[in-house]
Amino acid sequence: MTGVVFLVLLFGAVPISLVLALSAVWYIHESGNTVLYESFAQQMFSGIENYGLLAIPLFMLTGELMNEGGMTGRLVQAARVFVGGFRGGLAYINLLANMFMAAIIGSAASQIAVMSRAMVPAMEKEGYSRDFAAATTAAGGLLSPIIPPSMLFVIYGVLAQIPIGDMFLAGIIPGLLLSAAFFLIVMLVGLTQDFPKSAWMGRSDALAALRDCLPAALIPLAIVGGILFGVATPTESAAVASLVAFVIGTVVYKDLKLSRLGQLFVRTAKNSSLVIFLIATANVFGWVIIYEAIPQKLAAQITTITSDPFVFLLIVNCALFFIGMVLDGIAALILIAPILLPIAQTNYNIDPFQFGVIICLNLVLGLLTPPVGAGLYITSAMTGSKPMAIVRQLYPFLAAVALILVLLSWLPALTTVLI
Amino acid sequence: MLYRFSAWWARCEVALAAFCAMLVTLLILVNVVTRAANSAIFWIDEAAIYTMIWMTFLAASAAVHHKSSVSVSILVDLLPRNGLSIAHFLVDLVVLAFAAMNIWFCWIWFNPTGLWASGFDVEVFQGETFNFIYAEPTNTLGIGKAWVWLIMPIFALGFCLHAISNVAHSSSGLFFSRDAGNGLS
Repeated sequence: MTGVVFLVLLFGAVPISLVLALSAVWYIHESGNTVLYESFAQQMFSGIENYGLLAIPLFMLTGELMNEGGMTGRLVQAARVFVGGFRGGLAYINLLANMFMAAIIGSAASQIAVMSRAMVPAMEKEGYSRDFAAATTAAGGLLSPIIPPSMLFVIYGVLAQIPIGDMFLAGIIPGLLLSAAFFLIVMLVGLTQDFPKSAWMGRSDALAALRDCLPAALIPLAIVGGILFGVATPTESAAVASLVAFVIGTVVYKDLKLSRLGQLFVRTAKNSSLVIFLIATANVFGWVIIYEAIPQKLAAQITTITSDPFVFLLIVNCALFFIGMVLDGIAALILIAPILLPIAQTNYNIDPFQFGVIICLNLVLGLLTPPVGAGLYITSAMTGSKPMAIVRQLYPFLAAVALILVLLSWLPALTTVLI
Repeated sequence: MLYRFSAWWARCEVALAAFCAMLVTLLILVNVVTRAANSAIFWIDEAAIYTMIWMTFLAASAAVHHKSSVSVSILVDLLPRNGLSIAHFLVDLVVLAFAAMNIWFCWIWFNPTGLWASGFDVEVFQGETFNFIYAEPTNTLGIGKAWVWLIMPIFALGFCLHAISNVAHSSSGLFFSRDAGNGLS
């Protein structure tokens, strides 16, 4: 009956956090274990009493500071130096700038919103179809949750109780693979459509663009370098990155107004609380998962189908793809990881880092797939393209992600070699 | 009136949450500096975590007023306009039900009547109720954890205020739109 309550509330448009909490309340009532009500509020509190979660507001703040601090335009200019002169240069610039942004912003939805505003009008002006420009930008947003830092990786690290820094390292090779695949797609699409050719920048302009971008490049260096060399925890790196972004925005670029700072903290508090509160309520929902032994029951079912880790991962990938279509990525991760991870580790001996990268990349695909594709609708709203027109242009990118997912499932070393 | 009070309280909650977000950033930055100088302040991590938790619950309560939480609305969005209003009203009722339960959970956890009955003597209270909420210390801050946990009843009350306001607001809208619909027909 708890399952029915869960589904009715979920598809009845009740906030997902409350769906989890109310399902837990119903389950406790049904199981007669009402003593749990006495620690219900405490359980929600203790669910987020976690040092790793501090990285979420800090990375969100860094992204906000970067948007306000005028770094986006400068990153785009720097990308122009490297790929601007190729046929289809702006499409490559779009992807390269998305890679830079992914190394600073941890959220795909924010990145898509920022880049749609920055890139799509410029691409359209240069002769690209608006739908293709929107699709390329939306696909570039998929890099955000894989190239460190990543909000999904922080949440997964907390749920799986594994080091978040190592989780970030696990995302580097898959992120580069994904970027390479996207570049290849733009090149192949360029062979069939006659992409406009841009001019290479002159030496002095190129040097100026690189010089302007250099301070912004300090942010990913502060984040990834700090973690890689063990100087700082991901949380501390995020705080340092936000300080660097603040100093660059106010002192170097002078685009960040101090009067706007209050609004940035308001947005940071609002957006990060949506995610962290979800984790708090997922903690009470965890009672349902544990007392009902859902992972064990599911494992018993799945192990009758296959004992091969690769086949298991393929099944998981298919299931997650459909789950991602109707559930928000973060909510789905919070819901799914505690159920599937024990099965992956115990029954199939799958590395938790490999599993984490796969489910995060898979669930983020849901951002771009209807009917619940927040990223798709953000791109549509920002660019004026119709969602389905963007989806049609997105097919090659989505196919590339699917191939990368199969590759990551096949070769664990792609995620574990850097750890 | 109720809606305006709910809006005002939501603004207070958001302002406090934003302040907490700033405090979290400053605390972690101080931690980085002091750790680099080999003179780490031992209580900062715990203070930062609790500040983040206060930020979360304050903003989560305000999100009820703003109805900004994430939900799956694909089926509900298919409903006609009147059906949609009814669905929104029902969601508001469900949120209110959780708000009421949340107050009750906090009530039985903090057990203020039990504390009153024991004359605010924590040891007597513990002996009679086996509830150790007022004896639990924080690890490094040197205060009782009940002070930190106080955010839960604050959250429950704010959440309930917004939920009641939303139900009142959407029910008046619902009846208004029905009247309008009847008038047209």
